[in-house]
Order: sequence, then C-alpha cells, then structure tokens
Amino acid sequence: MHREFSQIGRDLFHQGLNSSHSGNMSIRLGDRLVITRRGSMLGRLKESDLIETGLDKNDSHITLASTEIGVHRSIYKNTSALAIVHAHPVYATALSLVDEEIIPIDSEGQYMLHKIPILSFEHTVGSEEVARVLPEYLKEYKVVMIRGHGSFATGQLIEEAYQWTSSLENISKIIYLTRTLQGDIKEKKSEKYGQW
Amino acid sequence: MNGWTGKILRINLSDSTISVEKPDQESYLHFLGGRGLGAEYLWKEVGPEVKPLSQENKLIFMTGPLTGTKVPTSGRFSVTSKSPLTGTILDSNSGGLWGARLKKAGYDGLIIEGKAEKPVYIVINDKEAHIKEAGWLWGKNVPETTEMIVSREGNGYSVACIGPAGENLVKISGIMNDQSRALGRGGLGAVMGSKNLKAIALRGSLPVKAADEDKLNFVLYETNKWIKANPITSQGLPEFGTPVLVNLFNESGIFPSYNFQESQFEDADSISGETITEKIFVKKSGCYGCPVQCSRVTRTKAEEGEGPEYESLWALGPQCGISDLEVIAEANYLCNRLGLDTISTGVTIGCAMEMAENNMVDLGLKFGDASLLKGLVEDIAYRQGIGDDLAEGSKSFAAKYGGEQYAMQVKGLELPAYDPRGVQGMGLGFATSNRGGCHLRAYMVGPEILGVPKMVDRFSTSGKAGLTIFYQNINAAMDSLIICRFIGLAVSEEYFARLLTAVTGHQYQPQDLHVIGERIWNLERLYNLREGFTQLDDTLPERLLKEPIKKGPSGGHVVNLSPMLTDYYRFRGWDSQGVPVSRKLTELGLEVK
Repeated sequence: MHREFSQIGRDLFHQGLNSSHSGNMSIRLGDRLVITRRGSMLGRLKESDLIETGLDKNDSHITLASTEIGVHRSIYKNTSALAIVHAHPVYATALSLVDEEIIPIDSEGQYMLHKIPILSFEHTVGSEEVARVLPEYLKEYKVVMIRGHGSFATGQLIEEAYQWTSSLENISKIIYLTRTLQGDIKEKKSEKYGQW
Repeated sequence: MNGWTGKILRINLSDSTISVEKPDQESYLHFLGGRGLGAEYLWKEVGPEVKPLSQENKLIFMTGPLTGTKVPTSGRFSVTSKSPLTGTILDSNSGGLWGARLKKAGYDGLIIEGKAEKPVYIVINDKEAHIKEAGWLWGKNVPETTEMIVSREGNGYSVACIGPAGENLVKISGIMNDQSRALGRGGLGAVMGSKNLKAIALRGSLPVKAADEDKLNFVLYETNKWIKANPITSQGLPEFGTPVLVNLFNESGIFPSYNFQESQFEDADSISGETITEKIFVKKSGCYGCPVQCSRVTRTKAEEGEGPEYESLWALGPQCGISDLEVIAEANYLCNRLGLDTISTGVTIGCAMEMAENNMVDLGLKFGDASLLKGLVEDIAYRQGIGDDLAEGSKSFAAKYGGEQYAMQVKGLELPAYDPRGVQGMGLGFATSNRGGCHLRAYMVGPEILGVPKMVDRFSTSGKAGLTIFYQNINAAMDSLIICRFIGLAVSEEYFARLLTAVTGHQYQPQDLHVIGERIWNLERLYNLREGFTQLDDTLPERLLKEPIKKGPSGGHVVNLSPMLTDYYRFRGWDSQGVPVSRKLTELGLEVK
C-alpha cells in the first residue's frame, strides 16, 4: 500500500499537480479508510504518513488525518469510489476562476472526461458544505473542480483517480495554451460536451 | 485603552487595604499580560528572601489583552507566584469563565498580598471589591464552597477557590475555578491557603471593546475557518476530549506507565478517549468563547463529574499501573473537589508505589492496586498518615525515604504524560522549563508526534534546541495574551499577532510575539537564577537519561540531553552555565542589576 501511495504521490508532485505539502489521497478498506497525514509531502510519503481511521467513526488517529478527511468520508459514503485523489492542479485551478465548467477541446480529454464541473463554496478547505455537495457530482463525473482550490477525483484504485487528475490538467493546459494563441479553433466538437 | 483596562486591583489581606493602580504602558506593550506581566510583578516584588508560604509571597492573578474578547478560547487567566513545591517562579493558567469576568469587572489583574488573620474570601462586582469573613466556608470542598458563595452573593458570580488541600498547605494543591477548572500546578492552592484566603468571587458586566471591530471580525473569520477545518480542533478534541491522545501516544511508545518504567501501557485502550466516550461520557463542556469544547462531563456508576483530562487520566491511571476507568474518573473528581493537582498527585503516588515495591517504604502499596487510590488522594489532601509526606510532592517524599531516583520530576515539579526518551525535544523542554517538569512550556509533541506544523524526527537531537526555544518563546506569548494552547494546533502566531493588533490598536507582527516571549522566558530564568537555581537543575530524572526503554516503538532510547542542552544555551544567547549574557538582556530591554 505504501508503495502505491508513495509512487503516485511522487508523480502528482513531479507533474506539478501539487505543491510541496498540498493535496491528499485515500483508499477505502470496508468500514475503514487510509488517508495521507495532514501536512505530509505527497512527493515523499513515508509509511508513517499513511493514517488509518474509521469511515464513520473517529478514533485517536483523527488527530493525524488530512484536513480533507470529512470530504473523503462523505465521498465514500455516497459513491462507489474506493480511492480518492485531491490535488491542486495549476492550470485547472486557473481555469476554474474564470470559467463555469471545463469542457475539453482535445480529443483524449473529450473521450475520457467529456466535462468537468466547477463548484463554488464559501469555505473550500475541510468544508462541511463541500462534503455535503461534492459527492452528488462525483456520482456522475470522474473528477470535479472546486473553484480556486483544486480537484477531487475518484476511482477503484488510486491509479485511476490519479489518471483523471492528470487528464484534467492536460485538458486545462491545452485550453489555456489555445487561448493564448488567440487563433480560431478549427474543430468545435467541444460545444456539445457542455450538455454532458 | 482597548484590550487592556489599564487597572490592577491590589488587595492586602494583612491590613485589609484595597487599592487600584495603573501599570505604565511600557509594561503592557513589553509583557502583554498574563504570564508576562505576572513575571514582571513577581520579579520586582517577591525577592529571594521571601519564603513561598510566608505572607510576603504574592498571588498575581492576570488576564491578557485578548481575555474576554470574541477571540476563541480567550476566557483564560493566569496566576503567578513563587512555588512552594519547587521554589521557582510559577505561573499556571486556567479556562472557564473567571478570567473573562475579572476583565469585565474592570481589571486586568488582581494582586493578593499579606495574610488575613482569619479565613476570608473576596467579592468583586464591577470594580467594587470587598473582603469578607470566610469561617463558614473553611473546610468545605470546591463544589460546596462555590455553591455556598453563589447562594449568598447571588447568581452571575464565578468563583475561584481552594479546597481542603490548599487549606492544609499541601504543596501539590491547586486553585480551582468555575468548579472544575484548575490552576493545577506547583502548589498555588497552598499559597492561597497560607494567606487564609478561601475564595475570590467575581461578577462583571463591563464591555471589553476592540480597537478595530471590523478587522477583528475578519481575522476571527479566517481563524475559525482553520479551527473548523483542522481535524484535531474540529473532530479529535471535540469528540474525545484530550484523552484522544491516549491510543496515539501509546502506539508511539511515549505513554509512560509504572512510574516511567515502561513507555507503553498494556491496557491503554480500556482508558482511551474512544472508551471514555463509549462508557462514561455524558456531555461536552468547555470554556468561555471556545469552539473546541474539549472538556467533558462523565458519569461512573457512583457519581458524576468533569474529566478526566489526558494528563489526569494518565497520572491516576497508567502511572500507577491502574486501568480501572471508573476508579480513575472518581479519583479525578475527588482531586477536583479537594483542590489537588492531578498530575502531581498521581506521579507522587506512582513514585511511592515503586518505592514500596522496592521495600523502601512499608505502605502496602503496589502498582495496579486501584482499591487504595481514592483513600490516598484523601490522605494527601488532609495530610493524614503517609499522606502528610506525599503532600510534599514526589521529590521531597522520595528524598525522605532515600529513593531520590524514583521521583519523576524536574526542579521538583512532577512530569506529565510523555516519555521523553521517545521524543527528544520534549526531554529538552522538560529539562529547561522554568517552572519544572511541564509539557506546556514547549509542547514539542506538536512537531515530534502530531506533525504540527511539520513532522520532525522524534528520535533525533538535531535541530531540537532551536525548535524548543521557538516554542518556549511563542508559548510564553500565548500565555500572556492569554489563549489556549490548542488554538496553536490550528493557526500560527501570524493569526495571534493580527488578533492582538485588531483588539489593542497597537501594531504587532508575529516576530514581536517571539521577542515578547523571549523577554518573558529570560526574565523567568533570571528569577530562578536569583533564587539559587543553576544549570545543574536543567536536567531530567536519572532513569530517563540512563535506562533505555525496554521495548516497543521507542525501544532502546534514552534522552540524549547533553548535546541539546549545550546548543540550547548557545542559541538562547546564554553563557555555558546557562546565564543570560548582558548583551542578550539589553537586546530584550531587560534592565537587570
């Protein structure tokens, strides 16, 4: 388990999807979950950075768990997810500040994700409101953006949740770069994905 | 002035004079309030010739600039005095409502001096103060005293008082306020008892205003966001109280048991925060203006009370090899009623148990025997039988019977619930603490176990001197504002400085708080040096320095104190004997002859 967490944590950091101490990951183990330690560096995860606690019930390990544990728990309790990656992808976060949703304009993004909703909340970190609202969207979408904060992606495995996070950032980079080019996009397949 | 009232009430019990004085603004700006201002007063007014239980010693009750404001956990107040247990400078702070009411009565502080001829209590109601006869209260326990005073004086009063332990000059007695909050450590109860002062009842209705309400509201909004987001302050402590730490620290091998012979306790789970919540929890309770609400009301088969907190649970439990949760809780209630420091009580009893098992005293005590615990607590409070010796604290008790090595104390103050062999920085914090074996001066388990603000290698000595100094300084400032240590688990001094600025209207930066904290720390050090303490007192019980932990996650470790201490003195700007050099004192604005 540590190997999987540490490898994906390292990749998230090296890909620029998280800053040194941001982001968190978890997996569900029945009525328990394992989540990264609050303040841990995902790029350098040690075994002691993986904190196991209850899905419903707190225990003493709650004192070490990620600040976002409430959101992770809510996602597990309301979706079929078995793994969650929360990241702070730079381009996607920038787009979340100016757009209503992220619609891929590249082919792979359209195949994979079709559309990424953007949600707004007053409190974005460790927020009860996020915990209440976000799972509804993750029932339908693989990855969702919190405006100005970051992404939550789910999967059966951490690798899968990582994949959606990585795809989201690629999609966002392409959108950003094409906007800076200021040329006409020749194919506008993306328009229909707004209805996804 | 905003934040401060600018007034200190001084009551002399020898001649019954009551006066109001106004400290100069420089004192407020340099020492803030609470522990800092208390240290300045004690330095000036209680010299080395004063015996702690003589009428020349003083009790200095202080609020801070944030006390009584909207800032979370700001209901706190502190009491400074010369400790009868340690002979060091002593301050202890407490939550509840009493502190906020002192501020709302119109005073930043209250200095008690002299000694009443007969038992008295003090009543303060919106600036008016009276000394009243307390013969009818003498001998009563804490809840009885509190209820009798409220019944006579009227509703809306907060009461700080001593129980029988303080009356009997027990050196491990505390002052209790609002029934079950404690200024527990170092024997403040005995100092109050030595003055024939049973209680201080307060009622206050004056507003505590902030200089910039808008700014305060904004910083509070940002502060509360983090308190709510952080799982320690929003889930762990509110749900399980401070005993949430039991299982965590036991798993880490830093949860001492059997008088620090072991660093884990085999029955930890039977007394954990989770088990307390499941078996004896009744409801949460908490202090003035606190969103965390870490205290809890509990109920055993026989009675109901508050606690036990993490330290009390440990001291009356694993420290004595006891795992019966109901007995521990009831011993805790009893300590609260009688006005005893739960930590020192449990550690002193654990010391006696080990000495008895080694045939050094013939007391019929043994580890794990819960049947004698409550009786021993009573004996200590009333100085009955062997309780008379135990009432002097573990250092004195162990010395009397030739077992100094069994007293788990620093400078005479009993150690709390952390085995520093598994947390090296905590060891340095204990050894250098100005009031003796105290966890709150540096609280190095923050970075060493809880990862606040970042996780460091708990077994390494590297870098620990600098970190310990950092936390000792900032915590001294927090104890002067005064806010609870737990808020520091959610937000940093950046927030404290902004809160202080908004409340007082004086511009404070985070660095200012570090400098103020360093000033307080150095003044306390000077006080202890003036009392005759030396660098030889900056040490730990031999067991922690020489006996490696036998097994478990911290197995094989002792505290490697010497290199950390050398760094510590140097980083502090002290000489190799641990004496602050004049350049450092000048830098801090401490003009000391």
